[in-house]
This record gives sequence, C-alpha cells and structure tokens, in this order.
Amino acid sequence: MNNLDIAQTPSTPMVRADNEQGRVFMAGDSYPENPFEFFQPIIDWIDDFLKNDDRPLTFDLELIYLNTSSIRAMMDIFDRLEESHQGGRPVSVAWSYDPDNERVGELAEEFKEDCTFPFTIAPRS
Amino acid sequence: MPQCPPEDSLEPRIEAILAADAPPEGWKEALGTLFERYLDQQRLLDRLTHIADRFQAAERERSQGYLASYEKKVRQLEKIVRISDQYQTMLHQLKERLEHASNYDSLTGLPNRRYMTMRLDEAASRATRKPDGGFAVMIADIDHFKDVNDNFGHAAGDQLLQAVARALELSLREYDLCARWGGEEFLFLFPACDATSAPVVAERLRQAVIGAQRIRDEIPAPTVSIGFTIHRPGEPVDTTLLRADQALYKAKDAGRNCVAGE
Repeated sequence: MNNLDIAQTPSTPMVRADNEQGRVFMAGDSYPENPFEFFQPIIDWIDDFLKNDDRPLTFDLELIYLNTSSIRAMMDIFDRLEESHQGGRPVSVAWSYDPDNERVGELAEEFKEDCTFPFTIAPRS
Repeated sequence: MPQCPPEDSLEPRIEAILAADAPPEGWKEALGTLFERYLDQQRLLDRLTHIADRFQAAERERSQGYLASYEKKVRQLEKIVRISDQYQTMLHQLKERLEHASNYDSLTGLPNRRYMTMRLDEAASRATRKPDGGFAVMIADIDHFKDVNDNFGHAAGDQLLQAVARALELSLREYDLCARWGGEEFLFLFPACDATSAPVVAERLRQAVIGAQRIRDEIPAPTVSIGFTIHRPGEPVDTTLLRADQALYKAKDAGRNCVAGE
C-alpha cells in the first residue's frame, strides 16, 4: 500500500498518509476547486488502510479554513473512523490550532461532537 | 392458486345431499372429500397470510431504514451548514481585522496615510461638484520630536506620539478627520471649514497638544507647529498638501509651537 504525499497549495492543505506508521497528517486551508478530485484519493487511502489490516490509525490535523465541500469530506472521514471504532479498531484524532485563532478550536469541537473515538483538540504550543 | 377442476363433481353431489330429506348413498365419502378440501384451503390461507405478513414487515423495515438514513442525512447537512456558517464568520472577522490593519496606524490607532489619501481624494472630488464642499487641510508636526527619541529612547518617543494623537483626536468634531501622516506628522481634514475659521481651529489643536497627558516629568511637554490651508475647488489634492506643508514651514520658521496659514 502506497503512502500519500500531497504538497500544500494556497487552496489545498498538505496531506501525508504514512502506511507504516498508520498516521495521516493534514495542515493548511482547504477550498479546492474540485473537492471530489482532491479528497477521493485520501478517502480511498483511508478505506484501504482500514480494510487491509487491524493496526491503529492516527490523524494529526492542523487544518485552518475549510469550505463547505471540505467540511463534508472531513465529516465523511470521521464517519469512517467512527464506524471502525465501533468495530473495535483503535483510531484517534488530534487537532491542534494556532492559539491566536481560538475559533479554529471551536470549529474542531463541532466536528468532534458525534465522535466517540479519542479526539483531542489543543492549541499549538 | 389451485382452482377446482371444471369436471369436479363434488359440488353437485353436496347439493344433492343437502336437497335430500334423508342422507343419500355415498354422503359420508362426499363429506370426507369436502372436509379434506376444507383443510387444504385452510393451510393455503395460513401460508398466504404468513407470506403477506412477511412482505409487509419487510416493507415497513425498508421504509424505516429510509427514514433513518434520511434523518441522518438531514442531521449531517445541518451540521455542515452550522460549521460552514462558523467558518464564514471567522473569515468575515479576519477580513475586518485586515481592513482595519490596512487603514489604521497600529501605534496611535489613528487612520493611516493610505486611508487619509482616500478621504482627501473623495473630499476634493465632492468639492468640484458642490460649491459649499470646501474643506481645510492642516499638518501638525511635533516640535523637537527627534530630541525625545535621542534622549529618552524610542519607547518614550512612541508614548509621546500616542499621547499627542489622543489629545488631537479628543479635540475633533464628528466629521473631522485626523491621520498619522508620517513619523511625527499628523494630517487633518476639516470639512466645511473656511479661511475665517481655519486659524481658530488650528489654534484649538495647538492648545489641545499643550494639554496632552504628560508621559514622564523629565520629558518636556510636547508642542506642535501647525500649517493650515483651504482646498481650492478643482485643484489636485497634492497642490493643497504642498501649500499646507509650506504653511507648516512658516510656523516652524516663526519659532515653533504656533500656527500659520498659506
């Protein structure tokens, strides 16, 4: 299974998915011109990882601005994590944000609302 | 569903038995066949009812599944809308902060040169359209500001700028505008201020600075020199500014802490 390494652009976040470590890192703003094209490889990678074995999957997020389609995509991703978690798979999310922008933390809280897996939100030190 | 064969003779036989006063020959056999057929029908009906019930249950389950996934989708959409709204609020606040940062001086909180230039251009174009749209422009410069910086440090200089800015700002009326124009220079736009009232207004500004809050006892109380002029309808703003600058030089030459017009 391949790793993902998508460079950051002004309208899309940096994405790194490491198969060996079972770790996904996403940082930056997200308002892609074609949200489906951007998020599908990420969602496919997650599906593959969750399907192929039973190792833990960890998300490190430093996302800042998300447009509506990106919000939807992230909710899809969290839904998948929730489903795996319900099935006994260890999954977790750690969302960190710039302490100067408290709002990003509040938004992360909104995402967390329906998730029962470990989901920590903390200002970056 | 199995139909009774048309050649079935049971029906006329039963009818004959029912029509007779006493049970005719073969009545028992006919009754037996009838009873068997009755049981068959009963079983058939049971099966039919059972199947229909299952169909109904499956259908109900299916529609409840639709309802549940519909409700889930609605909840998901509501959440997306809520989060999206919050992101928009965040962007809007950011835009306001940036807008403010691009129009205001961070040290004194006064409008900056960029903003003042915009307002001067607006005032000048209004003045060409309306005969009573004349306005006065004044430049105030803190006297011996460099000495404060040199002798007491830049932090003291910054504090002095803030104190003077605050004093000037407090002496303005609602439609007057004061901006930080450069280092220790402040620029004023006074709408509907003519040649008669301009010197009075300039003098009021000078007095206001004298009354500015002292930042430290050892630092001399700040004073300003002020040059004022009246915009002449039709002339470029730069020409008005140049004249105000010349007036300021006149005030400086006259010994500072005074006002001069041009």
